[in-house]
Amino acid sequence: MKLRHAVLLAVAVLMMLVWTFPVLWGLLTSLKTERDVLAYPPTVIFEPTAGNYRDVLFGATSILPNLVSSVIVSGLTTVLTMLFAIPAAYALSRLDLPFKRASGFYVLATQMLPPVGLVIPYFLLLRRIGWTDTYQGLVLVYLTFALPFAIWLLVSYFEEIPREMEEAALLDRAGRWRALWHVILPQARGGIAVTLIFVFLNSWNEFLFAVVLGGNTVRTVTVAMFNFISLEQTQWARLAAAAMVGMAPVIALGLIAQRHIVKGLTVGAVKGGARR
Amino acid sequence: MTAARVQLSGIVKRHGAVTALAGIDLEIQAGEFFSLLGPSGSGKTTTLRILAGLEAADAGTVHVNGEDVTLLEPGARDVAMVFQSYALYPHMTVGENIAFPLRMSGVAPQEISRSVKEAAEKVRIAHLLERKPGQLSGGQQQRCALARAIVRKPALFLLDEPLSNLDAKLRIETRVELKRLQRALNVTAVYVTHDQEEALSLSDRLAVFMDGRIVQMGTPEEVFSRPATVAVAGFLGNPPMNLLPARLDEGVAKVESFSFPVPTLKHLGTKDVVLGIRPSGVRLSQDGLPATVAMSEALGEEFYADVAVGELLVRARVKERPAERAQVRLQLDEAGLHVFDRASGLRL
Repeated sequence: MKLRHAVLLAVAVLMMLVWTFPVLWGLLTSLKTERDVLAYPPTVIFEPTAGNYRDVLFGATSILPNLVSSVIVSGLTTVLTMLFAIPAAYALSRLDLPFKRASGFYVLATQMLPPVGLVIPYFLLLRRIGWTDTYQGLVLVYLTFALPFAIWLLVSYFEEIPREMEEAALLDRAGRWRALWHVILPQARGGIAVTLIFVFLNSWNEFLFAVVLGGNTVRTVTVAMFNFISLEQTQWARLAAAAMVGMAPVIALGLIAQRHIVKGLTVGAVKGGARR
Repeated sequence: MTAARVQLSGIVKRHGAVTALAGIDLEIQAGEFFSLLGPSGSGKTTTLRILAGLEAADAGTVHVNGEDVTLLEPGARDVAMVFQSYALYPHMTVGENIAFPLRMSGVAPQEISRSVKEAAEKVRIAHLLERKPGQLSGGQQQRCALARAIVRKPALFLLDEPLSNLDAKLRIETRVELKRLQRALNVTAVYVTHDQEEALSLSDRLAVFMDGRIVQMGTPEEVFSRPATVAVAGFLGNPPMNLLPARLDEGVAKVESFSFPVPTLKHLGTKDVVLGIRPSGVRLSQDGLPATVAMSEALGEEFYADVAVGELLVRARVKERPAERAQVRLQLDEAGLHVFDRASGLRL
């Protein structure tokens, strides 16, 4: 048993290193001057500078407006997704609808399409209705991915909750909506938190659609980061600083919701594994 | 709140090709403790759920106090239900659980807290109101579910195997308490169970379900002493009644290859029947059917002896333990004989 633990620990540490290394390296890079970044061999000990952060946040190439864009796009996407996905998932998990299982598969199938194949049609569509480079345009496109994903994830959480719960609530005169609100949603809290975070992160991190369907008005932080790479020169230190700033909300969110995520993920995983 | 009178007429329920209920007609009087008894899959729970409004019948009507409630939502029917799993809301405290039906009915807060206390005291969990259901024992959870059901003072009280998750001792205690509560509240109770002992001890009347039909309805004494079919006879009683295929011929019964006189059955003429007799009606004696003792079981003061008559095993309740493999003779108490038609299974 001891050996097993040691091996597990070693594997865990190794994997953690693999995942954290780029982040740590990025953090170091963001604190270097451009000259230190390009030094060879790379320097680990150097004089840290906050200059990159100052440029990235308050300089000519400030990404603050982009952060605002990202918050608007991701926030709207998340709110709208949850607003529609919760009732939809609840209905799918509870009501005996014809083609229920088939519909579940098609919902999931939308997740399997390669985004590159969709970006041009979406662009053409949005341009026709004049929604390119608008928040509603980008959010609409994000919804087409986020909604099916959220519904599919939430269904498995709702199915965990025994039907007798809302039958009891119905007999207690709650009606369907109040049964959902008072009895079902509080019990699905963990799953809802996990779904919400996933939806937010996916749209926060999204790049391809944002770069094609956005523009000068709507430029999310991922797109703005990309601007530090140009034909003539790549501003590695600033790119790294922008990346750190862009990553901060994600990490903060992750830490806040850590408890829910771990709990919610295992429930979802076991259930997901057991379903058909 | 007055107790409800319930009437089910021609209830049919199908699940795809399977007919779960094939025409249920039932009348339950106000204030009655009525049990739906049957083996699992016999349709008793489905009947209860249709009565509650949790499932829709494919045909037939449900009337409560003369009012047609067939199409009403569960919440509009003035019924409360205790589920087999209790279905307590795990994120609420005991007090919040009990208060929930009142909150949903828009009762004033002071009135709610008074009623919650009262209901909790009735089932003796007033000291647990701040706990979450997960922190309660099985028996306490059961009481919490009961309190949530009675707090609203419903006209009709539905119980779906409420005692099946309790241990044997607690089950008997709670059984007594349930009956007391039902009487004290003067409420109509419909009780689903597969446990015949529960049904017989609790009910004013009961209906025996088999294969989606009611095969017999009556008081516990009636059903126990005059089972309407072979199936009911085999289901009721612990241990169940002995059922012996026999041929009647002008007052003589032939079981296996042995004949014995039954003058009281002479009026039935010549017929293939099933003779039913409870273990207490079988005596080991000097003459009668020749048999071999296969096994015996101690009951405390008495014994059960399984004796073989030809290929048939007959269970007798005896005062003295017979030796295994002993050759004995059996007498069947003629007054305790139940006679059923072999082909139809109906009582003759």
